Amino acid sequence: MAHCERASKPLLQCLRNTYTRSLPVIQLPTRGFHSTAAAGEAQPDQSQPFHKSPDPSLVSSPRLERRLMRQGTAPIGSRRRRAALQGSANLPFEQLPYQCFQEARQVLLADRVEKLEEIEKMRQKIARLEALSPEEAGNEQSQKSRLRSMQLHLERLKIHADINDPLVKRKFEDGQGDMSKPIYRFLADRKWREYRRKILVQRITQMNVVPDVLPHCEPIVDTKLYFNSRQVQPGDFVEAKNSTSAPKLDVQLFERGEKLVTIAVVDPDVPNVEADSFDYKMHYLAVNVPISAVNTKVDLSQLSTDSQVVFSWLPPVAQKGSPYHRLSLFIMEQKDSQPLDFAAMKAKETDRASTLLRTLQARYHLKAIGAHLFRTQWDESTLEVMKQIGFSEADVELRRKKVEPLPYKRRNPSSFR
Amino acid sequence: MRSLSPALASLANVFRIPMSLTPARPTVSRACNEILARRPSPQPGPITAAVQSAPFSSTSSLAKRKGKGSNVDKRITLIRYFLYHPLTPRPLRFSRNRYLRHWTIHRAWQLFQAKQRSAHELELERQYQAMQSACEELRVGAGDGGRLFRKSMIKKGIFNDMFPIEYGRMQTEYPAAEGWNHDWKRPEKK
Repeated sequence: MAHCERASKPLLQCLRNTYTRSLPVIQLPTRGFHSTAAAGEAQPDQSQPFHKSPDPSLVSSPRLERRLMRQGTAPIGSRRRRAALQGSANLPFEQLPYQCFQEARQVLLADRVEKLEEIEKMRQKIARLEALSPEEAGNEQSQKSRLRSMQLHLERLKIHADINDPLVKRKFEDGQGDMSKPIYRFLADRKWREYRRKILVQRITQMNVVPDVLPHCEPIVDTKLYFNSRQVQPGDFVEAKNSTSAPKLDVQLFERGEKLVTIAVVDPDVPNVEADSFDYKMHYLAVNVPISAVNTKVDLSQLSTDSQVVFSWLPPVAQKGSPYHRLSLFIMEQKDSQPLDFAAMKAKETDRASTLLRTLQARYHLKAIGAHLFRTQWDESTLEVMKQIGFSEADVELRRKKVEPLPYKRRNPSSFR
Repeated sequence: MRSLSPALASLANVFRIPMSLTPARPTVSRACNEILARRPSPQPGPITAAVQSAPFSSTSSLAKRKGKGSNVDKRITLIRYFLYHPLTPRPLRFSRNRYLRHWTIHRAWQLFQAKQRSAHELELERQYQAMQSACEELRVGAGDGGRLFRKSMIKKGIFNDMFPIEYGRMQTEYPAAEGWNHDWKRPEKK
């Protein structure tokens, strides 16, 4: 028997019966703003004794733990914690009997009720203003701007109503936040902007993707890139054999509603030996991809070829001796989330090399809302991949041109002799 | 030098603090050194007492040799000393629930203060508006063509003849601990 269990042994039998749920979520009567009910948890069957159906959040003896593991459920938390939970009254967090805490909760709840009233009032105001004709409300311009500012205020109020709730904070920290609700979207956006967005912006500006591929980009969606279900940090080198199949994307939108986006992968570093410069190449282009705050996963290989994918995935390879290739991925919002004409686009854009993202942006009124970047260079697996995709110059190795030093910079010019 | 405890002496050695605490009476070794050196100066400096081999240098001999000895900044040493001293309290660590309770209380307090501030501002604004409307009423509604209002707006002599008593001392949040000095007498004029 575990030490921790032995300590609380005398209490176990009587307390096990009072314990009903592992971490109960009490739906407060005042929480009218979130209309979803608490998810009904699968309660452990009370009729059976504990050793027959052990609770994964309470089990503390190694024998029962092993049995649980064999059944396929891992025990929750440490054994010490589980043993302590057996002996606790297991009050839910908001009922913990600390005076100051309870007083603080009262203050916060009262404030929340106030905010809800304000939200209701604001909604009515907006409805009233919308019902008015532009002549009655004065100028049409002023009516629009007033509506806009009122909407913004309403969104802010929604966030203010929930931001002081410790349960919301805990849920968000556990990663269980419901992205369909404005407060969790706000928190996720703030967290993303604190670190990951900064890193992303730094990488795409330091590696000059932003002036090279697009003139500017202000990311507002969080983009994660996965090759073979392994995440790639922005700017990482990806081996050629890993990038043979199209990546998966996790595009987190922080706004309400659905957006149709265009996803493009551009390589601005294709060496052009004749012109002694670099060319662009479009490695992937898909249009009319729907994303929303809850629908974030985009598998580039699963998009439909007859209505979305203009250019299918071309595995990136770097010739031997060429500098690394920056494969930049851009997520472009389509104007007013209107679908683009796929057939016309497919007919028009046929050449990967001559399709520039700047041109596309101007032609189809796109706006960059997200970016990602990975790099590729010559490695052991590149040759195989080149053969697979039928790369024409697989056996060519690029060399840097030797630049003769200027006469006055030569170490030992002939005039010295 | 010898009067220090061995623990303190070793600490001083570690942190390179020259043991300049001149003992009340010269110890035997110091007296011997003075005799041996036979210097004309009767008072060797405190550093001389610590590092006898280099009387004119304040650098300890280990630090003087290049690359030898520790080059750690003294300030860092001191920070480390006090940070890891057993008497330094441990950092404040909360369990998750306790941290959340703390956070809840903190947020409630912030909210309360913000509400107080905004209420105060509103009150000030209300008072200002009330005063302004009263003045307007006086100007327009008194029926004397605004004469009373103009007279009341004359600021002449307000700060000249008498000075507001509250400007006589530094403004503080709270009244003084002893409210009134009853024993105060006007200083005699000579």
